Parts: sequence; C-alpha cells; structure tokens
Amino acid sequence: MGLAARSIIGGNKGVRSLRSVMAQRADELSDDQLMKRLDGPEVESALSALYDRYSRTVFGMGLKLLGGDRSSAEEVVQEVFVKVWRASHTFDPSRGSFSTWLYRVTRNVALDLHRKRTSRIRPVPDGDLHIAAARDSSASPEKVVDDSWLAWRISRALEGLGETQREVIELAYFQGLSQREISRRTGVPLGTIKTRTSSAMKRLRRGLAGEDALREDRQ
Amino acid sequence: MMMKCAEVHPNLAAFALGGLDSEEETEVRRHLALCPSCREKLAEFEEVSQALEAAPPLADPPPYLKDEILSYVRAEKLPSSTNEELPSSRDSRSKNLPLFVPGVAAAALVAVVALGIFFGLHTESPVATIQLTPVEKENYWGVAELHPQPSGNQQVELKLNNLDEPGPDSYYEAWFSSGEEYIGAGTFTVTDSGQTDVVLTAPPQVRNYPTFLITEQSATGDTAPSKKVVLRGEAP
Repeated sequence: MGLAARSIIGGNKGVRSLRSVMAQRADELSDDQLMKRLDGPEVESALSALYDRYSRTVFGMGLKLLGGDRSSAEEVVQEVFVKVWRASHTFDPSRGSFSTWLYRVTRNVALDLHRKRTSRIRPVPDGDLHIAAARDSSASPEKVVDDSWLAWRISRALEGLGETQREVIELAYFQGLSQREISRRTGVPLGTIKTRTSSAMKRLRRGLAGEDALREDRQ
Repeated sequence: MMMKCAEVHPNLAAFALGGLDSEEETEVRRHLALCPSCREKLAEFEEVSQALEAAPPLADPPPYLKDEILSYVRAEKLPSSTNEELPSSRDSRSKNLPLFVPGVAAAALVAVVALGIFFGLHTESPVATIQLTPVEKENYWGVAELHPQPSGNQQVELKLNNLDEPGPDSYYEAWFSSGEEYIGAGTFTVTDSGQTDVVLTAPPQVRNYPTFLITEQSATGDTAPSKKVVLRGEAP
C-alpha cells in the first residue's frame, strides 16, 4: 500500500448529480443573483452560469482588442472570470448592470495585457522601417478600447437572439449572403427568412437600446 | 406599379443589410424616395447594421477554458483541513494557489486537471523526465517530469496524449512503485482526447521508486493500484 494518503472518491456520482441540479437552478437566476452566490457554497454553479452567458462576448472582445490573437483572448477569458469571482464583492447592482461591470473588467484586463505585452517588446531599430511603420499606423490600445463599448453592446445583443434569428444575421451580415441565398442554404422559405431577419434586427435594436440606457454607469 | 408600405416593410431589414436581389432593391429604393415613414423605419435598421460593423468576432472560447477556471476556483476554495498543503512554485498569476496531495474528497478530483495549462508550467529544468509508453492502447503516450520542491516534495508534471475519458465512475491515478510497494502521486481525469497537462505532487520518497505508472481506478473499488495500467515508464 502506498505511503501517501488515499483519495476518497466514493460518492462521486452523487456529487455529479447534485452539481447538475444546482447548475440547472443557476441558469434560472439573474446575473445579480448569481453574483451574490459567488461568495457562498454554490460558487461553482453560479460562476459556471455566468461563464455560459458571457464567455463568448468576453472571448470575442479579447480577440478584437488584442488583434485576433486567440491565445491572448483565452488569457483574457481566464483573467476576467477569475476576477469576477475574486472581486464579486465590489459589484454593486445599484450602480449599474452586471453586463456593464463585466465590460469594464474585460476592458481593463485586455488593456493591462496589451500593456504588458507591449512593454516586453524591445524598441524597433530605426532600420526596420517595415515594422516601425506598421506599429505607427496602429491605433493606440486606449483608442481601440474606447471604441469597444459599442462592440460589447452589439455582442450582448447578438447573444440575446434566438438560434434561428442569430443564424440569419450571421449568414446575412457576417457571411454576406443574400436573403435568397440564405433561403436556399437553409431550406427555409424566402418569406420566412425575411421575417426572421426583420425580427432579429428589431431585437438587436432593442438589445442595443437596453445596454445604451446603462451607458452612463460604465465609467 | 410601386410597392406599398406593407410590401416594403418585410424587406427593410434585408435592404439595410444589403441582402435583397437587385430587382427588389430597386423597387424598395423607389418607394423609399417617396415615403418618409419607411425611410424612418429604415434608419432604425441601418443603425443596427452600423453597430454590427463593430461586433467582435463570433467565436466560442475553447471548451477546456471553463473547466480550467472552475478548477482554479475549486482549488482555491478547498478547505485547509486537507491532509497536506504544499508551497506553490507556480508563476505570478497563481502565486497564492495552494496545492494539495491526494486525500481530499471527491470534489477535489478534478481540481488538479489542467492546472498546468491554465497557470503555465515553471521553467526550471526537471530533475528527471520519464517517458511513458502505452500498456494496452497504442496511441497513448506522454512524459512525466519531476521537479523537486523546496519542501522536498516532487512536483510531477504530466503531459499526456490521447488518453480517453475514463470509464463511468472511474478516474486515473499516478503511482510510483518499487517492486510491490506503491506511492500514490494523485488522481485526475480527462474530459477530452488530445493533450492533457496535469500537475501533481508526490512525497520526497518517490525518488527511491523508479517505476511510474498511471492506472485507471474504479471510484467504488479498492483504493490499491488497479491492474488496469494505461501508461508506464522507468526513471532514467
């Protein structure tokens, strides 16, 4: 028998079942309620639910703010959700929505990461005109980050769409397909595609307006 | 004949996105030129279309990220009443992260998974690298690197490839052995085929146990090393 203490694994199945039930309940809670639970025994299910709701937006923002670097964007996601957990006590729902608070956290993490990365880069020798020119032409991280509030809002609005609505927007806007092409690709009648597109755009507008109303809280 | 408002409305969103056929687009344009009400509605859709230009890439983070974050939180939340708490040698991002030897309850099982990926492995040269070869499944392979810690414990960094998820109610366990004597180095699981990085901690005595094994253990069975050895290696 080994010298080290043995793990007690019995009851693992029970733990899984319990976790599953807790996750199901967490899904039904508001962001504010989940934030309160980060201080308690249900921290994992609460953080898991917040992750499910926001990780795509945070990851997308990481990609946008850090030049499409997936590795850096993953680091942003990690840092952001650990900060959400660690700093949950600093979130005050009376001062703004969780989404707005999380936007600030994401923006700051991405900016910090960008600064750290930049500080590690040695000055470009004068002779390397190509690299120097490329760096000079790029927007400052602060400028990119300032433009990011709209990106956050539209991302959240997109996340609020149903599956079929998101599909038509992705195909129409991000893939540039015409309504007729979307109809052919999906096998859905053209009239239905137009209705879905219209509904999706209206919903996006409402989503943007919802985040806009909180804009004054973001600073 | 010009389109009526009721015919134009279903096309305005698509118009704003540039998704109408040229004939439809021309018809809508003709109507818009004479209809302030529809132009007003179009402006709302165009506002959304412009916002979409700012949208970040629509991409899912890799599936393992969530587990890594929850594992980290779980590890930090574990009560200090576990058997042994060891000093961390990880990088600055996890300088307060406690490590635990086996002995915690089931909730800790997954805590060790992928910490290596999340926190980055330290850069000190390992004191020994053990090549791990498969016992049954030929596509399993990996290495175990041993890093001595100031406390005398050995940090065991596993880089495993192609391990399947263990069977129901099962988990993997790392062992050092010498003859018939075994020292457990920790338990872990994998959730995905591909590369799995795991960081475990073993007591100082493992230096005298030259054989390294990874077994698949049943959660409901004996805690002694099972006969289901999946990887094996010998310390150089």
